Amino acid sequence: MKRISLKQFVFLIPLLLFIAVFSVYPIVTSCLYSFFDYRTNDQQKNKFYTNEQLNVSLLVEDLQYINYYLNTDLALTQGMTGKPVVSDEDKAEMTELMNTVSATMEKYDANDGVRAFKSGEKDELEALFDDIESKLNAFYNEKYPDAEFFNRENTPIIMENLRTAVVESNYIGGSNYSTLIKDTRFWKALAHTLIFMFCSVELEFCLGMCLALIMNKAMKGIGLVRTIGLIPWAIPTAVSALMWSYMYDGSFGIISKILSDIGLIGKSTDMLLTSTGAMASAIFADVWKTTPYMALLLLAGLQNIDRGLYEASAIDGCGPVKNFFQITLPLMKSSIMVALLFRTLDSFRVYDLIAILTNGGPGNGTETLSVYAYKLMFGQSNYGYGSTVVIGMFVCVAIIAIFYVKVLGAEVISND
Amino acid sequence: MKNSSKGFKILMWVFIIAFLLISVFPFVWILITSFKPEAEIHGSGAFSIIAHNPTIQNYITVIVDKHILRSVKNSFITAGITTLYVVVVASMTAYVIARFKFKGKSILMGIILAVSMFPQMILIGPIFNMFYKFNILNTYFISLAYCTITLPSATWIMVTHFKQVPLALEEAAKIDGCSSWAILWKIIFPIAAPGVFATAIISFIAAWNEYLLSCTLNQQESMQSVPVRISYLRGEYTIFWSEITAAAIVVIIPTLLMVLLFQKQIVAGIANGAVKE
Repeated sequence: MKRISLKQFVFLIPLLLFIAVFSVYPIVTSCLYSFFDYRTNDQQKNKFYTNEQLNVSLLVEDLQYINYYLNTDLALTQGMTGKPVVSDEDKAEMTELMNTVSATMEKYDANDGVRAFKSGEKDELEALFDDIESKLNAFYNEKYPDAEFFNRENTPIIMENLRTAVVESNYIGGSNYSTLIKDTRFWKALAHTLIFMFCSVELEFCLGMCLALIMNKAMKGIGLVRTIGLIPWAIPTAVSALMWSYMYDGSFGIISKILSDIGLIGKSTDMLLTSTGAMASAIFADVWKTTPYMALLLLAGLQNIDRGLYEASAIDGCGPVKNFFQITLPLMKSSIMVALLFRTLDSFRVYDLIAILTNGGPGNGTETLSVYAYKLMFGQSNYGYGSTVVIGMFVCVAIIAIFYVKVLGAEVISND
Repeated sequence: MKNSSKGFKILMWVFIIAFLLISVFPFVWILITSFKPEAEIHGSGAFSIIAHNPTIQNYITVIVDKHILRSVKNSFITAGITTLYVVVVASMTAYVIARFKFKGKSILMGIILAVSMFPQMILIGPIFNMFYKFNILNTYFISLAYCTITLPSATWIMVTHFKQVPLALEEAAKIDGCSSWAILWKIIFPIAAPGVFATAIISFIAAWNEYLLSCTLNQQESMQSVPVRISYLRGEYTIFWSEITAAAIVVIIPTLLMVLLFQKQIVAGIANGAVKE
């Protein structure tokens, strides 16, 4: 093999670009999200503010409202007489306040959006807010508690809103992670994910191994087995999940009916309406879809075994069971490990099957980590904590991968 | 000895027949249901094998009213674009990995492998925000995001196939003054054509079946892919199983054709994707 030159290195650039944009950048960003209270549905938290910011557009808008309200209320007249409600003295005082507000408004450019504070700005603004609030309070509640101002209820609301123009930092450090550790829903989701992963991978491996051994025999009609097996694997999981959810249905699902008729489940509604039933349903649907795939992975390893070994063992008088444990399994170790590793990680991140079949139900009884994280991020727009859950998943995946490679000795990369 | 091998054979046939039955049964049942009117699915005819009043109305509804064919088209375009660029990018990478040695090669391979292993859930939030920022939600740009699910396995399969191309041809070409670029596309790529084809078909199926990215990035009805469209047929309050099953049959047909036509390539692709020789 030759050493690479710059010219050939160029060949790697597209791949590296794709990995950088669609894998590295999102991972780094997700880590970033997890340190913030980042929610896209909350104006205060939809960006990353490591220190306090000023929402200039909100400030200007709210100040405009205050002046508008005051303007309307100062013009209020008494029903019949047409005399103004507000005394001239108070009117002058409030007009002065309005002028201060207008002057402040002019200092800010609403187009600035959200920006950092300039020095001294924050104290100045907060003093102004206090001033406005106390004057408004005095005006509405002390001097004219009974006047029928139009905006009596509106002013406290706008004051409250005005104070949110000072955007607090939503950087919360490791607090998402400490929430995660105490979050029972996360641990339950992890448990569901692990149950799903272990059961489906074990079953797929055992059944897949049998199927692979059968497919390895040169027999008539074995092509049919292979073709039929490919179909469940090749159709979209979303479609097969829907198919199964129809067949598992308590009142008209054929599988529920068959299982309850033969007495395997108590009531036909048990399949999707109890958490054990729903988990078993999900596992079965996954096994149905992926066993042939597992079989093909194992078959590839099986076909690499030298047939001569079996002939030799036949001469020694070994039976098929002994052959399997003494020759087949040890020689297939590496392909078994690789197949198991791929499938384990694949089922650990299961999303579409569960999301469509049960959407985590009943009562979160089948909620896996992916489903939980997705609900947090896209259901509640809580990207900060959702990303934390995802990082938790990422750590689990890393642990599983390391376990396979270091402890079980899966040779994933052959370096030649 | 003879008896036990006979028992073995019977066991094997039982297994094969059970496997075939279980694999095929859901499709048969869905096909049967798709010809039943909705009322029959819920009533006493729920478990009857033949519909009392067979109808093709369900198919007409999903095709005409629910635009299932439009999402089939969307999926075809998205998966097609994905396959095209993935084959090109994976070929270039696989050529370098298969033919040259360089520092950090195992790191590169480790990264490619890691990309195929970590949960897509970690990507989805930032990718959604990125697409939102560039205003490319609900477009075919989604194909680019599919690289995380297709590129690693495509590269993996390609490397296996490129390694099998004899070096001698390449050296002859080099003497004739071919550049690496020309060697890749004019010599290795055509010789490894079966492998390239296996890569293409596996990538196509992966992109065709993808759900998470497409239900997040392309939510708008006119841009939904097949898996998303069909999952949206299930309403929040009402579920018309007759329509869903008809839609399922419609979208299974392309997959079925792909499997029947290209099963050799698919099997080769699956095998090469995971086994290091």
